Amino acid sequence: MLMPKKVKHRKHHRGRMKGKAYRGSDLSFGEYGLQALEPCWLTARQIEAGRITISRHAKRKGKLWVRVFPWKPVTKKPTEVRMGKGKGDPEFWVDVVKPGKIIYELEGVLETVAKEAMRLASHKLPIKTRFISRESR
Amino acid sequence: MSFKIKGEIRNVFGKNASRRIRQEGMIPVILYDADTVSIPLTLNKKDVFAILKAETGENTIFKISFNSETRNTMIKELQRDPVTDEILHADLIQIVMDNIISVSVPIVLVGEAVGVKAEGGFVDFVTREVEIECLPKDIPEQLEIDISSLHLHQSLKIEDLSSPGEITLVSDPNTVVVLIHAPTKEEFEVEEIEEEIVAEEEPEVIKKEKPEEEEKEKKEKEEKEKE
Repeated sequence: MLMPKKVKHRKHHRGRMKGKAYRGSDLSFGEYGLQALEPCWLTARQIEAGRITISRHAKRKGKLWVRVFPWKPVTKKPTEVRMGKGKGDPEFWVDVVKPGKIIYELEGVLETVAKEAMRLASHKLPIKTRFISRESR
Repeated sequence: MSFKIKGEIRNVFGKNASRRIRQEGMIPVILYDADTVSIPLTLNKKDVFAILKAETGENTIFKISFNSETRNTMIKELQRDPVTDEILHADLIQIVMDNIISVSVPIVLVGEAVGVKAEGGFVDFVTREVEIECLPKDIPEQLEIDISSLHLHQSLKIEDLSSPGEITLVSDPNTVVVLIHAPTKEEFEVEEIEEEIVAEEEPEVIKKEKPEEEEKEKKEKEEKEKE
């Protein structure tokens, strides 16, 4: 699963997800991409599930770029524990995704294949997304 | 094809005024060059779309008229909304037709590579634009590169681009434009097992290393305070 090798702080504040993604909102590498239309915390598991889906559908042809990385730790208190006694332990890792962010990019496959791969991957994600290509932009 | 569009001098600035301008079907723009003071203008959205749809796209040179003045300009930068793709603002640069300018031109691949047709590879189009220098009248629509002779693991560089004599390539000639990759072999089942093992580990926390001298000074201070 994706997670950082080194961190400066073990636990983060939750933060807010306002605004749009003005960075990482253009196709930088591939011909086709999957763009987020809603804000969310994208977990490492969701990112990985989408990646595997695209890779399987494209039959390992083409090249895939994952443009998100789960750098933010999310903590959780154990069940049946009273409030207080400090912040819980890191449980999983997420990336803060804002509307407009490109999540995956794909190159070296037909448009129909890319579209279907991205559609299948979008079902693994907790947000609305759209398929984009260099021609459509 | 030459475009002539009308602009109006803009006297209102800032987020709210710009939003009102956009609601009226106009786009706030700024016109400048290296020497003169920049001029804020508004343009009709339809005119800007017509320019962008032209064969040369963003590199189209057009005439803009305002306050009984006419100037040759080109789009330097476009700001778009990342979700709706609506144009929010444009930077226009004034062009002197006798001076050489620097622009980036799209690269177009021609033909089907042998490595794709016969050897089962795929095309990785790494560099899609190239920086060139030329006179404004000589700006090409695109630069073509023939990939039909490329085999698996072979690549073409900027130096292999066929460019007309009037233009100079500014980008690094050793930059790879296109290469033919072999498909990667991934084994998902093995990966998934590895993931479960790795997931339980925690990353290393980076700590600031305090210099020894600082620590010694601190100890001395504490001792003095005790005395």
